Amino acid sequence: MAAPTRKSVEFFYDVLSPYTWLAFEVMCRYQQKWNIDLKLRPFFLSGIMQGADNRPPGMVPAKATYMGKDLKRLTDMYQVPFKLPSNPAEVMFIKGSINAGRFLTAVDMNCDQYLEELTRQLFLRIYYRDEDITEPASLMSAAAKAGIPEDLAKQLLSTIKDQAVKDRLRQNTQAALDHGAFGSPTIVAHVDGKPQMFFGSDRMELMAHMLGEKWYGPLPELAKAKM
Amino acid sequence: MAALRSRKVVELFYDVISPYSWVAFEVLCRYQTRWNIDLQLRPFFIGGVFKETGNKPPALLAAKYTYAQHDLRRLADFYKIPVKMPPMERLMRRENVNSNRLLTAVTLDCPEHLENLSRELWMRVMARDQDITEPASLETAATAAGIPSDTTPQLLSRIRDDDVKAALKDTTNQALAYGAFGAPTIVAHIEGTPVMIWGSDRFPLLAHLLGERWEGPLREMAKY
Repeated sequence: MAAPTRKSVEFFYDVLSPYTWLAFEVMCRYQQKWNIDLKLRPFFLSGIMQGADNRPPGMVPAKATYMGKDLKRLTDMYQVPFKLPSNPAEVMFIKGSINAGRFLTAVDMNCDQYLEELTRQLFLRIYYRDEDITEPASLMSAAAKAGIPEDLAKQLLSTIKDQAVKDRLRQNTQAALDHGAFGSPTIVAHVDGKPQMFFGSDRMELMAHMLGEKWYGPLPELAKAKM
Repeated sequence: MAALRSRKVVELFYDVISPYSWVAFEVLCRYQTRWNIDLQLRPFFIGGVFKETGNKPPALLAAKYTYAQHDLRRLADFYKIPVKMPPMERLMRRENVNSNRLLTAVTLDCPEHLENLSRELWMRVMARDQDITEPASLETAATAAGIPSDTTPQLLSRIRDDDVKAALKDTTNQALAYGAFGAPTIVAHIEGTPVMIWGSDRFPLLAHLLGERWEGPLREMAKY
């Protein structure tokens, strides 16, 4: 009997979003357990916020306070080495992620075998070591840790202002908006020919149910994020 | 003889106009027979929470409202709770506070009916798209919840009493003191420390913090 075709699961994300790291690591663990084809789709969170007329949740003080505690508890439980940056507002609202998003896009377009690890290395910079992700040197450092050969990384970095790269990032952002996105992560699981959009990092058990797969919890033994 | 572990108190602050509060309510009602917890129902006023914190009802953002409609449909199936996102005009009615006050009166006068009346109000507004603001609606709900019909008129009149209004405000302020900014707000008391959790999507974490096991939606325990 033919093996059932893998179900496509699109993961639209911006490394600026802390809950996105949690969701990303969970999906990377589960792509080893579930019959899915995980497609990473870097997008631009600022563009999503604009397109959906949304605001970052951290702008409500009581929510920001809660999110710090929530992220610590969840990342402890899931064994993701998360640490809130010393100045989260500066990281999230001022410095932003446009260069990182375009660099991830360039990698996706040219050598997507590195996309997962580059994504992870950018998360480790921003949300474990409290390091910059906006400067060229920062992106080169993440690329090196992701195993991208230096010449290739340098060449891809030089393309991040090219129209093709900007367009592709914009297309991913628009595709997510067309699915009803208003934040990151936006996960689109294709079930029985229909796209099911899930927002956030807390619909995994429900997604399992809809994919006809089993939920095993955090699966720390399959963790890839190393400090 | 095995030492009796004292039950951990878990407070559920909820508003019946909040669909996700219904999900949390049913899940905790199912788990109160599985986990060593003392579930305490605390009807509060979400409008007061939004006002104090500067937070806004998510339904006001079109993309979030649309998403919530899909999300609740899927959750309804997953948990076997007939919850649907109500139409905007029902969500935003100022008179929704009448149902909060009725639940507060029940908490004060006849708390044995609190669970049933909460459920009946949610069934009206979320499952059947029925009113929960008019006296006649609330009387019907009270009767359907098993409150003796000779006591309902008096209970309904309590909605206007100062002590009921004050108690609702007080419960809402307690939730705010725990850091609440939305509904549902769950406060688990773990080794003397209150742990506040927002929403209906943290049950595996709650289990982990309580030292209990998450066994999924327990659809077989659905009351529907």
